[in-house]
Amino acid sequence: MERFLGDLKPGERACVEQIEGGGALRRRMMDMGIVPGVELEVVRRAPWGGPLQVRLKGYYLAMRRGECAKIKVSEIYQEQIEHPLASR
Amino acid sequence: MKIALMGNPNVGKSTVFNALTGSNQQVGNWAGKTVERKSGLIQRANQEIELVDLPGTYSLTAYSQEEIITREYILREKPDVIMAMVDASNIERNLYLVLQILELAPRVVIGLNMMDLAQTAGITIQTAELALALKVPVVEIVAAKGKGIEEFLTEAIRVGTLKQDPLPGEVSYPEELEQRIQAMEDLLVDTPWATKYPLRWLALKRLERDPEIGQEWKTIPTKSRKSTDKDSCCDPGDAINYELQKTTVLPGEALLQAYEAEGWSKDHFEMAFADAKYKYISQILPKFRAHENPSKPTWTDLLDRWVLSPIWGYPIMFAVLAVVFWGSFVASAPIGGAVSQGMAWAANVVVRLLQWGRVPDFVQSLVRDGIFAGVGAVLAFVPQIAIFFAFFSFMQDSGYLARAAFLGDRFMQLMGLHGKSFFSLVSGFGCNVPGIMATRTLEDPKDRLITMLINPLIPCVPRLGVMSAVVAAFFPGSRGSVVMLSLLLLSMILVMFSALFFRRVVKQTERSAFVMELPLYHIPTLRNVLLPTWQKTYSFLRRAWTFILVASIVVWALSSYPQGVPMNATWAGKMGGWLSFIGGPLGFDWRIMVAIVFGFTAKETTLSTLGILYGVAADASQSIAQAMTGAMTPLRAYTFLVVYMLYIPCLASVVTTYKESGSLGWTSFGVAYNLILSFIMGWLVFHGGLALGFQ
Repeated sequence: MERFLGDLKPGERACVEQIEGGGALRRRMMDMGIVPGVELEVVRRAPWGGPLQVRLKGYYLAMRRGECAKIKVSEIYQEQIEHPLASR
Repeated sequence: MKIALMGNPNVGKSTVFNALTGSNQQVGNWAGKTVERKSGLIQRANQEIELVDLPGTYSLTAYSQEEIITREYILREKPDVIMAMVDASNIERNLYLVLQILELAPRVVIGLNMMDLAQTAGITIQTAELALALKVPVVEIVAAKGKGIEEFLTEAIRVGTLKQDPLPGEVSYPEELEQRIQAMEDLLVDTPWATKYPLRWLALKRLERDPEIGQEWKTIPTKSRKSTDKDSCCDPGDAINYELQKTTVLPGEALLQAYEAEGWSKDHFEMAFADAKYKYISQILPKFRAHENPSKPTWTDLLDRWVLSPIWGYPIMFAVLAVVFWGSFVASAPIGGAVSQGMAWAANVVVRLLQWGRVPDFVQSLVRDGIFAGVGAVLAFVPQIAIFFAFFSFMQDSGYLARAAFLGDRFMQLMGLHGKSFFSLVSGFGCNVPGIMATRTLEDPKDRLITMLINPLIPCVPRLGVMSAVVAAFFPGSRGSVVMLSLLLLSMILVMFSALFFRRVVKQTERSAFVMELPLYHIPTLRNVLLPTWQKTYSFLRRAWTFILVASIVVWALSSYPQGVPMNATWAGKMGGWLSFIGGPLGFDWRIMVAIVFGFTAKETTLSTLGILYGVAADASQSIAQAMTGAMTPLRAYTFLVVYMLYIPCLASVVTTYKESGSLGWTSFGVAYNLILSFIMGWLVFHGGLALGFQ
């Protein structure tokens, strides 16, 4: 089943698999550290369909749901949870 | 020696810059850009150093104004050393930028900041190991406490005086990428370009088909360019302007086409390079960083639980905004009053001197009623602006502003705007001038322009004051609050409508993504709050004073000539008469039109103008508004309120829009839009009201 960052519930974690679409959006995400393989956690969602607060590598980003729907994610493998350092 | 200070946003760059340059700063704009440019001269070890504070960026690609400025500066100005600031608590993403800098310029010193913040989050960094991994000197600093800053500079000077360029560590790209880079390097190595730029960087950019390489730029000092046109309202901007000389196509086109056939397009390369850099960082990371208890909640986590909570977030935001508004626009009132009184006192002294010197009466009147009264009216709200900016800097530095943008984004989305526009629009209720200046936090120039253009539609405190006096006089009791609410609602609807309308007018090729960092909370230093406050207030005064002075004199001349005639026979009165063809369809008489014309300098003067025109001796706004009830029907009064609320807020806001947008065209467009919109809305209200049988 395909999952996107926008589908995650607060507190859930996942790995970025692929960023759909291109251009400025993908570049911006790249600059902010969202690249394939990186581990993300949805911290909370702003009410009434507002943006999501996402944690990665110890910092926080706010992203709109429309943009989160373009980030395909996969489940985190067990060993990656055990060694977060080695997995970046 | 030229040293550039670089780093991600919120990394403490301005703290270091302020500490090193002190008051010896030059603040302007980058040529042709609306991004602030700060530089300062410092003396160290018999050397004069020009320190340039480059705008905070996440990357060196060329997609935002800040990135373009930073890149162009490094490429064209070639600073001797780059001081790269790195946030220790957020080192992975910060190093991504550092790796890009290292590919472009070998002389780099890293300043590792926020070690204290990192330690509380359980992160420890071995500075020596980091320096070894990147082969770049690293200096630990605690910018907020002023520790290590001088050592950081000393190290930068040392690197700058090295005879040979140091060899920093290179990113190890994966094999299939490395082969392609080397193939490109082989093609480029014998070209003259390879002497201008680092070869590796050149090859990477050629693979990305970057337009900048291959362009030759000539620098032209601004002085030779129209030095006669030194408008005191406008910062001269960067002392250097660029002119494109010629564009040459670099070799390698055939190779690029071959790669494209294999599926390696420029986007693919870009992505692969970024990915490789992040992979490289995660490879070297364990050498120098240890992270204990990554899941332990930090201060920021705990605060965000409240500040961003779906239930408490909004009440907290309203409380914060209430404090900011109270502090800037209510508590500052005595200071503003003192400024007015001071001006009145100074006017008296000057007039007495003039009397003593037997200067003609009209000069005395010009000084007292023209210059001092007009300029005083504007100066009186400078304390408001200053206090507001102090709050603004505090909120921006502490990290709260990004949280407010997070909470407000949903509403801004309805208007097609960015969450960061939220704060600018809310500020407009206090005063449109800081509201327009607050758009500086928006990265996308188009979003910024739209936010700037809709800001005047929000009624500011002085306008609300006049409006509520008129409302109270015409609609006593509970009807008054309904009328006031309906006006505010109308302004909201028009703001939203205009934002959507401007979105169609303002051409925008690519919508920027809403990916915004929510920085870790920290307490800003006093200097970081006060210095920008002073700079912004000063630059507002410097750019506005000539306009305000001229406008005050013009208004004075119009309203006092020909001398000794009643108000309706003065030039201004006649102007109101001519303008009644505009006011006629709205049911306005000439007096209202005169008041509207005069309200342009500062809208709070509208009531006193009306007072004079209606022959009310008292100065109190209540009695002036009461006098109006005899001359107008409630429907006409409501129409007046609508027009009053919507047309250009004041001269200062127009000047600010011009300065911030850097475009006379857009400023005129905004002014025309406000005038036309207010006329149309007034007409609709008046005739709609008549049709519905209101009086």
